[in-house]
Amino acid sequence: MGPPVCYRLRCLPLALAAAMLAPGAFAQDSPVSTVQVTSTRDPVDKSYRKMIKGMERFEREHAYAPQAGLRFQLLPRTPDVTMDGITLRVAGDTLSVKMPVAPDNSFVLPRNEQALREDAAVLANRKTTSMTWRAAIVTPGLPPGTRRLGDLRLECRVGVEAGLVSNSSPLFDWLSNALTSADEVCTSPNGNYLFFAERPLFAVRLRSGERSETLPFHFLYAGGLPREELPFCDCQVLLDRTYYVPLWDKAWPDDTLVEFDYMTETAEARP
Amino acid sequence: MKARSFLLALAVLAGCATGNAPSGVQVPAERLAAGVVPGATTKAELTAAFGKTKTVVFDSGYEAWLYQSPAGDGRFSEFVILVNPQGVVARTRQGPVSSPQP
Repeated sequence: MGPPVCYRLRCLPLALAAAMLAPGAFAQDSPVSTVQVTSTRDPVDKSYRKMIKGMERFEREHAYAPQAGLRFQLLPRTPDVTMDGITLRVAGDTLSVKMPVAPDNSFVLPRNEQALREDAAVLANRKTTSMTWRAAIVTPGLPPGTRRLGDLRLECRVGVEAGLVSNSSPLFDWLSNALTSADEVCTSPNGNYLFFAERPLFAVRLRSGERSETLPFHFLYAGGLPREELPFCDCQVLLDRTYYVPLWDKAWPDDTLVEFDYMTETAEARP
Repeated sequence: MKARSFLLALAVLAGCATGNAPSGVQVPAERLAAGVVPGATTKAELTAAFGKTKTVVFDSGYEAWLYQSPAGDGRFSEFVILVNPQGVVARTRQGPVSSPQP
């Protein structure tokens, strides 16, 4: 299992975003033409069509997690965001459909032909970049503090297909998409699809039959992402819950258990 | 200004190319096992005894420190230390054995 050389694909848009955000980044030495942007989709908002594509991928590749259903989940990205009372709706040109959100901020996306035709957005009542999204595909009956590798493999495929990762400025979403397909991200050691555990992690171990292996340190905490790069990562506020798993390594079957050793025995309140 | 922006982008990309921050300082496993005591050893004592190493600092105040120990055949084992918000070692763990990280 080789070390994941982090962010090889994803950092290009991050780097460009950093350059654009730098003081004077827009200063020009020579005149340039002006482009008027009439609207940009808030990164907290997701494309309904893309999310439906993610759901279709779930159906096609359900064999990775045959006992599991698909939900989507909202997660905090910035320290100041309140995760209580989140409301969601699918909004098109003429359509607005409210969606129930569970106490764990997960939800099921209904299929709606009108929303597809109108290229609707899935909107949350939260500020730009304050949250991120993931697929939640969990086989029932697993031991506490564990996940199943096949579930995570499918979460990656659905999550990338649905455009759930919210790493960078929306201005660079197009570039990020151009560089990363689900097949690239979820089958390559360089894909680095981030997962979030329920609580802060101290170690992550894979177990399949008699074989057991603790993942190297760089599989945790987004590979030790420098603090100055954290604002560009959707793991910003969940860094201590962040982990990678070797999705690409077929030597670990889908039924492999991913076991979490948490930092503390019981959950501690966040400061 | 354009040059400054370009340099910032390069800096971020440089981080991408190398992937992770520099790996942990190398210390023999026996020294770590004897010198790091959960509930007693402090951050200052870690630094004094083994030197500064790769550290990840979390908003909660916890820190994860990584040292590496030679394990033969050019391989290294990890020694991970969890430091609590009071600056005292809370837990340690050893392994896995792997080639040294860049």
